[in-house]
Amino acid sequence: MKPDSQPPEPAARIPEQDEAGLVARIRAGDRAAFGVLAERYAGVARRVARAVLGDPDDADDAAQDALLSALVKLDQYDPRRPFGPWLLRIVANAATDRRRRRKVRRVEQLDPALVAGGARPDATTEQRALSERLRAALAELPHRRRMAVVLFDVEGYSHAEIAGILGIPEGTVRSEVFHARRRLRVLLADWKEQE
Amino acid sequence: MTREPLPFDHRPDPALGAALRQALEPPEGSHAAFVARLLARVDDSRGAGSWDRVLARWARVGVAAAVLFSLAAGYLVGRATAAPGPSVAEALIAPRTPVVEVVLASVLGN
Repeated sequence: MKPDSQPPEPAARIPEQDEAGLVARIRAGDRAAFGVLAERYAGVARRVARAVLGDPDDADDAAQDALLSALVKLDQYDPRRPFGPWLLRIVANAATDRRRRRKVRRVEQLDPALVAGGARPDATTEQRALSERLRAALAELPHRRRMAVVLFDVEGYSHAEIAGILGIPEGTVRSEVFHARRRLRVLLADWKEQE
Repeated sequence: MTREPLPFDHRPDPALGAALRQALEPPEGSHAAFVARLLARVDDSRGAGSWDRVLARWARVGVAAAVLFSLAAGYLVGRATAAPGPSVAEALIAPRTPVVEVVLASVLGN
C-alpha cells in the first residue's frame, strides 16, 4: 500500500497566530484578506464537505456556501478562539444540510469489484483505485462518523475540537472515530495483504 | 496500522490519514479556481447588497403608496355599499310601470 511508503503528512492544522488580524481586516471590508483566509481553508473545507457528500461538485458548492456564510456571520466569531473549528462547524452544517436537501443521491459510480476487493489494477492506477475504495467505504459510514474520522486523522483536530465542530459530546466523537477506523482499517489491511 | 487499535485511541493514525487525505483531495491546482469562484460570488453578493439598499428605499415608498391606495379604496367601497336603497316595504308599495312584455302577454292571453 503506497501511503505506508510515504512519510506521513503532518496534521493539516493551520497556524492561528495571524488569523485575528486577518479577520479584523475582513471585517473592515478587505476583500484580499478574505481571499487569503479562503485559500488557507479551501483545502480542509473541500475535503470535509467531500467526506459528507461524496460528489466533488456538490462538495465544492457546500464549501463555497459555508465560506460565504462565514463571511456574513463574521461578527459572531470570537477572535480569541481558533478560527478553524468555528469555520468547520459552518462547513459541516452546510454539507449536512445539502445532503438532506439532495433528493437524488449522486455518488460516484464505482466499480463493484473495487469496492468488494476484486482484481488488482495495474500499478499506475493503484493509488487511484485505493482512493476509490476508501471513498466507497466512507460513503457506507454514517455521515457524522465520516466527518469525525476525517477531522481527526486527516485534519488533525482533537476529540474536544471535533466535539465542538459537530456539536456532540467528546465521548461520542471518540466512539465515532473508533468505529470508522475499524471499518477503514479492515479495508486497508485487505488492500495491503493483496500486495 | 493494521493492528487492532485500542478502543478510543487518542492518537491520529498517519497512514490512514494520508490515505484518506489522498482519497478526498480535490484535483491538484483546483484550489485557485475554487477561491476565484468564491471571490466572484462575494463580489456578486456585494453588488446584490447595493441593489438591496436601492430596493429597500423604493420599498418604503411603495409601502406608503399601497397604504394610501388601500385607505382610498376602502373609503370608496364603504361609501358605495353604505348608500341607502329602498326598503322592502317601499319597494312593494312603489308604483311601477308595467313592463311591455307583461302587458302584451296578458292581452294575448285574453
